[in-house]
Amino acid sequence: MFEYLKQSWPTLWPTLGAIGVILAFVPVLGLYMTFIERKLAAYVQDRLGPNRVGPFGILQAIADAIKLFLKEQIIPDHVYTFLYFIAPTFSLMTAMFALVVMPFGPVPTEYTEGFRYIVAPGIDIGIMMMIAISSLSAYGIILGGWASNNKYSLYGAIRSCAQFISYEIPLGLSIIGIIAASGSLNIEQIVSSQGGAIWNWNIFWQPLALIVFFTSALAETNRLPFDLAECEQELVGGFHTEYGGIKFVLFFLAEYTHVVTVSFLTALLFFGGWHFPGLTGPVDANLGGMLLRTFVLVFKVTMVVGFIMLLRWSLPRFRFDQLMGLAWKGLIPLALLNFLCVAIVLTYDLPKHYLALTALFLVAGSMVSARHLQHTINRPRSEGRPATNVNLTESAI
Amino acid sequence: MNLLNNYFLNSAFFAQSGTESAVPTAVSQVVDSAVPIQAWTNSMLVPIVLGAVGYLFIQHGVVKSKAYFAAGAVAVLLAVGFALGFTPGTFDSYVLMAFCAVATGGGIGFLTAREPVYAALGFATAVLSVCGVLFMQSALFIAAATMIVYAGATIIIFLFVLMFAQQTELRTYDVQLNNPLVAAAIGAILLATITMCVTKNNAILPVRVDSTRVMSAASLPDSLSSEAGKEASKKLDAIDPNLRYVPKLTAGLGRSMYTDYLLAVELAGTVLLVATIGAIALAQRTTETQS
Repeated sequence: MFEYLKQSWPTLWPTLGAIGVILAFVPVLGLYMTFIERKLAAYVQDRLGPNRVGPFGILQAIADAIKLFLKEQIIPDHVYTFLYFIAPTFSLMTAMFALVVMPFGPVPTEYTEGFRYIVAPGIDIGIMMMIAISSLSAYGIILGGWASNNKYSLYGAIRSCAQFISYEIPLGLSIIGIIAASGSLNIEQIVSSQGGAIWNWNIFWQPLALIVFFTSALAETNRLPFDLAECEQELVGGFHTEYGGIKFVLFFLAEYTHVVTVSFLTALLFFGGWHFPGLTGPVDANLGGMLLRTFVLVFKVTMVVGFIMLLRWSLPRFRFDQLMGLAWKGLIPLALLNFLCVAIVLTYDLPKHYLALTALFLVAGSMVSARHLQHTINRPRSEGRPATNVNLTESAI
Repeated sequence: MNLLNNYFLNSAFFAQSGTESAVPTAVSQVVDSAVPIQAWTNSMLVPIVLGAVGYLFIQHGVVKSKAYFAAGAVAVLLAVGFALGFTPGTFDSYVLMAFCAVATGGGIGFLTAREPVYAALGFATAVLSVCGVLFMQSALFIAAATMIVYAGATIIIFLFVLMFAQQTELRTYDVQLNNPLVAAAIGAILLATITMCVTKNNAILPVRVDSTRVMSAASLPDSLSSEAGKEASKKLDAIDPNLRYVPKLTAGLGRSMYTDYLLAVELAGTVLLVATIGAIALAQRTTETQS
């Protein structure tokens, strides 16, 4: 065993280092995202926000963490103990495991010795692996909801479960266009295919894919426009009603990790990753260049995170049938439409920039589907709707 | 580490196979060090039959006491330890065995759990561990697909339904099978057949990618597969005809799925179509009865 470790150390330590970076940064990031979110919320609502602990309230996050960690651990009598403890752990585990194939800095497409900004480089199915693992994160929520043995928790869990399954479809479909255009599932390859001019960024060819992807990814994170799983007015706290202290922290951290993942994916797949005008071409091993690229990537990710946080205070929560309608009647047809355009362009070998025509399809398609959705949304709830499983769920809830 | 090694092996193999290098020998060594194919003995039937009998005992409520269960678990652990002591293994193979053990444990949990929800979780454990086994074999695509389809969607829907339909007390059909004897017999025969097919030489004829077919992934045009790649698959042929062409690009994957594995893909599509039609038919019937 020792011999084995000694032998494989040159390939082992970069991996362990990358795992260490993720393990160290994700909790701190989660902690400070709550702080930033509260500050942004205060800004949106014309308040001051947390400003008592430390300069500008910057230590508020740490104070919150200490309070949550030192809280008394209460285990309700009626819960299924084993699953009750497993659920938050599993939730965080899947959220962090999805980061395995995600580059958090510039990664060359050819493997090089030494530290690299990714845990598992050169995985040929990169993005698919990510979707596969994040599809498991429904387990944490559904187990938590069921193990709490509480009606409201169960309803929250089941809502989120239905939401997860529905929104996984547009999420996968929207990425297919990108994969077909860049010819690889590997995230590093997808990013390197966006090098060169700024017009090579995928957002300028496939804005429709961006919108579908971002919406459905937001739904997968269970954030506010889509947070029916923890709808306070109807379900107390949803699936985490019975959780407190550190177990609640784990659920919370998982949610913020999902936000980070979605932001990274958006930046990597659509906004050119670590490329920037004047900072293109293959990744060199030059330390300054690497740091600059990392900064560019992190800057883009921060922008997306900020956008997600502002969305939270701009949009009201969906009703359940609106949620399902958006996925099945809005996003899935749009994603298919986008894939059709990409397929046509690729099959007939048209210049790649013809794909910008999808912008026209975007306008036409969203207008049509928006009118369609308007019709369905404004229809009163009692008006004859076909009884499908989804509506059965909803009437039970 | 197996993953990374295989990645190196593959990339080195496909990159440099045009020139003479040591890589093909490395591949053939890997192939040689795998489990020998001719390993079938009739004594393999014994654990299968014993397993079936044990299952029947559990079903009839004979083995109820926890002491019996603990004794069984200890016996299994001893046997596994004994086997491991005599198996020359690397770190990879131990990880692989751990995944296999967890998969078996999940399967046992699935069979013996009293509550449907725990049974579904046992199934999920088994599926995820099988994904781990596939990862260890560098079968990344099929592992991810299994994860998405089975663990991520199918079992979640099982749980969904089970949690909704949960009763306060368990029904008899949750606890007891109607006909455990038939179930055990069918299971034992199936397991014996699979074991025989896997371990007996040429029980399953090797199915190869037909490289003469026009659209097959093995005969990709130069734009999609380099000369080196073709050379590599020829060399793989020479080493072991059971080795298949490994598509490097996503385009190659798509080609392979829609030519070499066309039948499987079409059958899966048909099953999904039938399921969709069935769902629509069921939903329609509900509407009629309601109105």
